Amino acid sequence: MKYILVVSMLFISGMVMAEQDRYQFDNNEQAQRFAELTKELRCPKCQNQNIADSDAVVAKDLREKVLALVKEGKSKDDVIEYMIDRYGYFVHYDPPVTPATLVLWVLPVLIVVFGFSSIIFRQRKAAVKQTWSEQDEALLAKLIAQNERQEQI
Amino acid sequence: MNRKLLALLPLLAFVLVCVFLFQGLFSNPREIQTGRLGQPMPAFDLPDLMQDSKRWQDSQLKGEVYLLNVWGTWCPTCLAELDYLTQLREQGVKIIGLYYVQSYDADFDGEFDISALREEVTSMLSRAGDPYQFNMLDLHRTLALDLGVSGAPETFLVDSKGTILLHHTGDINPRVWRAKFAPLMQELQP
Repeated sequence: MKYILVVSMLFISGMVMAEQDRYQFDNNEQAQRFAELTKELRCPKCQNQNIADSDAVVAKDLREKVLALVKEGKSKDDVIEYMIDRYGYFVHYDPPVTPATLVLWVLPVLIVVFGFSSIIFRQRKAAVKQTWSEQDEALLAKLIAQNERQEQI
Repeated sequence: MNRKLLALLPLLAFVLVCVFLFQGLFSNPREIQTGRLGQPMPAFDLPDLMQDSKRWQDSQLKGEVYLLNVWGTWCPTCLAELDYLTQLREQGVKIIGLYYVQSYDADFDGEFDISALREEVTSMLSRAGDPYQFNMLDLHRTLALDLGVSGAPETFLVDSKGTILLHHTGDINPRVWRAKFAPLMQELQP
């Protein structure tokens, strides 16, 4: 009995969730474009959420505008362009490559290049053969002998 | 010598990160980019907040320098800046209000109650000061969206040709006015 109750409750919650998804689309392609756009566009009010996620008034307005534009048959780039015109580059989670943002792309590459070259440099230095002469050999023998004598004392 | 320099590298990196993070303490996350700077005021046709028959179009506002202040009675910061804005009006700054309706949903709230809103606005402005030449009602926030408004209060500085020169997010106080608005205003109205 308990088991049946739990299973039937699962069905109820599933229905409620389906109810919330209230946007109507003409075709699947539009629905998918809408979903992608609302994930990629950033809410200007609550800054670390996308507009699909946020409950702010402005996020709701942006969702509705995206819906209208998508239904008009606008492409993804058109909608993003429309939003950037109004809210600036801030509104899109994918920043454009400009002189000010170039460092985002260049810096990781530089770090990798610098890191690898320093590893290679160090290895080369370690691999260099040391010179070893007869004199060095004699000096080493003498030091070992000295050391042994000290230990005996 | 070289080795000592290398040993200093982590310290140097640490100091750089410190400087970067320290700066972050004083940066304002609300200070965001806006898409409309240097562009003309978007076209609009909105009703007056107080009079039924009156409507305002963008063409009627051309020819004068003005501030467009986005506000609402629901917004405490807007209430806080009314006093200073009223002082600015007395100094001869033309301020036009764009009333931002916070959350009106026709399916949910039924018919929009304009007379209740008018009463609320009148009582708030008589208490705190009325800086506005007039107010436009943006019930569906269409002009707000075209301007890139994310909430209230926000203020735009528009020159006589109708070009948007400044978009300020947050309240206007003497400090903000001196730093951001006053230099531009001086250029526009010497």
